[in-house]
Amino acid sequence: MMAVAGGIALAAGVLLFVLEPLLSGRGAPAYGGDDRHDEAAARRRVALAALRDLEYDRATGKLDAEDYAALESDLSREALDALGAAAADMPEDPAAAALEREIAAVRQALREGLQCGSCRHVNASGARFCSRCGDPLGAAS
Amino acid sequence: MTTLGEVALWIALPIALWGTVLSFAGGRTGRTDLVLSGERAAYALTFLLALASAGIVAAFLGERYEFWYVASYSNRELDTYFKVAGLWAGQRGSLVFWTLLLSGFASIAVFRNRRRNREFMPYVSGTLLAILSFLLVVLLFAEVNPFERLGFTPANGRGLNPQLQNYWMTIHPPTLYLGFTAFAVPFAFAVSALLTGRLDSRWIAVTRRWILLSWFFLTNGIIFGMRWAYEELGWGGYWFWDPVENASLLPWLTATAFVHSIQIQENRGMLKVWNMCLVVATFLLTIFATFLTRSGLIESVHSFAENLKIAYIFLGFLGAVAGICAVLIIYRLPLLKGESAIQSFVSRESAFLFNNLLFVGIAFAVVWGTLYPLITEGFFGQKINVGPPYYNRVNVPAGLILLALMGVGPVIAWRRASKRNLRKNFALPVAAGIAVAGALLALGVRHWAALSTFAISAFVLTVIVAEFWKGTRARARISGEGRWKSLLNLVGRNRRRWGGYVVHAGVVLVFTGLAGAAFDVAVTQELAPGESVAVRSAFGHEYSLTYESLSHSRPRASAANRENDWRWTALVTVRRGGERLAVMRPERRFYPVMDQSSTEVGIHSTAFEDVYVIPRDVDLESGAERVVFEVKVLPLVPWIWYGGMIVAAGALVSLWPAGVGSGRTAAGGRVPGAAAGQAA
Repeated sequence: MMAVAGGIALAAGVLLFVLEPLLSGRGAPAYGGDDRHDEAAARRRVALAALRDLEYDRATGKLDAEDYAALESDLSREALDALGAAAADMPEDPAAAALEREIAAVRQALREGLQCGSCRHVNASGARFCSRCGDPLGAAS
Repeated sequence: MTTLGEVALWIALPIALWGTVLSFAGGRTGRTDLVLSGERAAYALTFLLALASAGIVAAFLGERYEFWYVASYSNRELDTYFKVAGLWAGQRGSLVFWTLLLSGFASIAVFRNRRRNREFMPYVSGTLLAILSFLLVVLLFAEVNPFERLGFTPANGRGLNPQLQNYWMTIHPPTLYLGFTAFAVPFAFAVSALLTGRLDSRWIAVTRRWILLSWFFLTNGIIFGMRWAYEELGWGGYWFWDPVENASLLPWLTATAFVHSIQIQENRGMLKVWNMCLVVATFLLTIFATFLTRSGLIESVHSFAENLKIAYIFLGFLGAVAGICAVLIIYRLPLLKGESAIQSFVSRESAFLFNNLLFVGIAFAVVWGTLYPLITEGFFGQKINVGPPYYNRVNVPAGLILLALMGVGPVIAWRRASKRNLRKNFALPVAAGIAVAGALLALGVRHWAALSTFAISAFVLTVIVAEFWKGTRARARISGEGRWKSLLNLVGRNRRRWGGYVVHAGVVLVFTGLAGAAFDVAVTQELAPGESVAVRSAFGHEYSLTYESLSHSRPRASAANRENDWRWTALVTVRRGGERLAVMRPERRFYPVMDQSSTEVGIHSTAFEDVYVIPRDVDLESGAERVVFEVKVLPLVPWIWYGGMIVAAGALVSLWPAGVGSGRTAAGGRVPGAAAGQAA
């Protein structure tokens, strides 16, 4: 008897929970096109992340100038294309901004001549001579 | 409690069917009340299935032997935690447990996306509820209801298979099931993407962490299974290419391929059809694994053989899902076109592609080997099993190429790698590989597969260590941070990449551990108490094992009818070069209720090798207490377990949410895409 009552109570409770939206007319949030920018934003982030890795690859000497130049122009174009593909009202993307800052930092470090022009070794900031090959630093590479 | 659980199982089916219909209808008509009702059904199912599972556990703990399932998988003598584990000890309970986990993951997916990705969600919940409905139909109508009564109450149950009475039994199956069921979520998103026609890489970004989570559990589940086999099956191995082992390996192979190929879709917009096929195939293989493990269709050392009817139902389901997905993919082919093409054969994309072909190739070889006995029986009337030699011949070379690709992938450039790029990055790692090969040849190693494994491993490890070293150094120089902080930030800003490298390092260790099997040493000898046996390991260590004495115990011997097992325990002292290393207690056990005996091996682990002692036979008649011991020294086996731990750690790094640990970094914040993609 207890079991029957328990079963009925369980069934009634579950049914009420599941049917409540239909009875009250309450709905789940509908799709409002709220993620329409996401694909463009994601593409931009992917391209920027690849650019960031590319900068590091150049800094670590994995890529030489020629390989770097070819890939860099491709990736920059993709990042720009993605930005262009999104509507003008695309919200600010902090992730992309962070990546851009990181890329800028690496580029600046390389510009300031921390990377040796001869052996591509990246030196500590303030260094005047390459700690690996001894060549003078300073020229943009 | 048990009755309530049974009732809950019956209520669950109509709720699941209701939710399926309403979710799809809501998605089609745009009526949000129908969608919400469908999502409520997912939550309700989790609750109902938790009740059903609790009901089964309560029946085990309450020794309710009027239930066929409880009587078949336990007895009064069984330890409490094995009674709790009774939930997944056999086919019926396993199915309930599987369904519970799936509904749990469905609820988490629905809850986490209650406000975002709404475009996908009606079809996601619809797909997940459809799978749940199928499982509930099986549970209730395919003669596998765990609440089926015997019609009488036996005084005691039949007990649990001795091989399952091991603590790994409480860990290994749930871990695997978590991996199997978690993969249903990416599959549901893929189906939803096909139905809605939103076929950019959005569904992948949304489910990326589900995919990694599933992979994490699958990998751990397989390694736990290997450890179980190693400790419990007592033959000194960890993998036998047994059908059930293969069944768990298959979805892992395709899931691993998928983890790699989605990166090409995200980076280059390529391989969309291929990724759809992989996600469907992996899901189908998780279902296939479940039914193969629990159907007894193919004989196996696991052979928990049971009910063939259920096998045909599962096969029908697999066929239906495959058919529907194939139709959907073909229908959406125009939207699945690649956005770019491979520019050069020598590039990271092509390394990834090659990796995928190898994984899928190995998967096909394993499917063929697993189903071969069925095929020969069907066509020639005779079951012919293929054994480890078949699998090794196919998979060892493929595995070695995969191993080498792990060293190529990280340093080869995307799109097009120049010769300069290759020379620059591969000179040192290749030199390391050649040096190791040369050293081993000089030491007299002539086993080509093992030699190649060690050499390629050195190559890959050098690549990985160099990547970490160079990356950290460049970062430290540019940002002015200290070494450790740079390393943490390096990993934190691109967890997937660096976590992946950690996984690769772990896999390298596992491979070297597997290659160690080429140098196993084994001696079998009958000893009387006081006598010793000497073994010389591949590393040149001289071990001496002395059989000291034999003891007999009858745990819980107070009441004659309450004995789970009788144990004969040998005391064995292990010495190396005269120094006493350990005392082992290998056992023979006899389970009177089951009329079965089993072996508990003795294992002494060092950093480089295991001493593994199997008491093959105990002479009880003469009273001389002579024991036949098989002593094995297994080099590098511990590395498999260390490697497994490193793999798990790397996978955790990869799937850890951004914004936890090193602060909200690259993908932190509430960016629409990033937040949803990272945290769905």
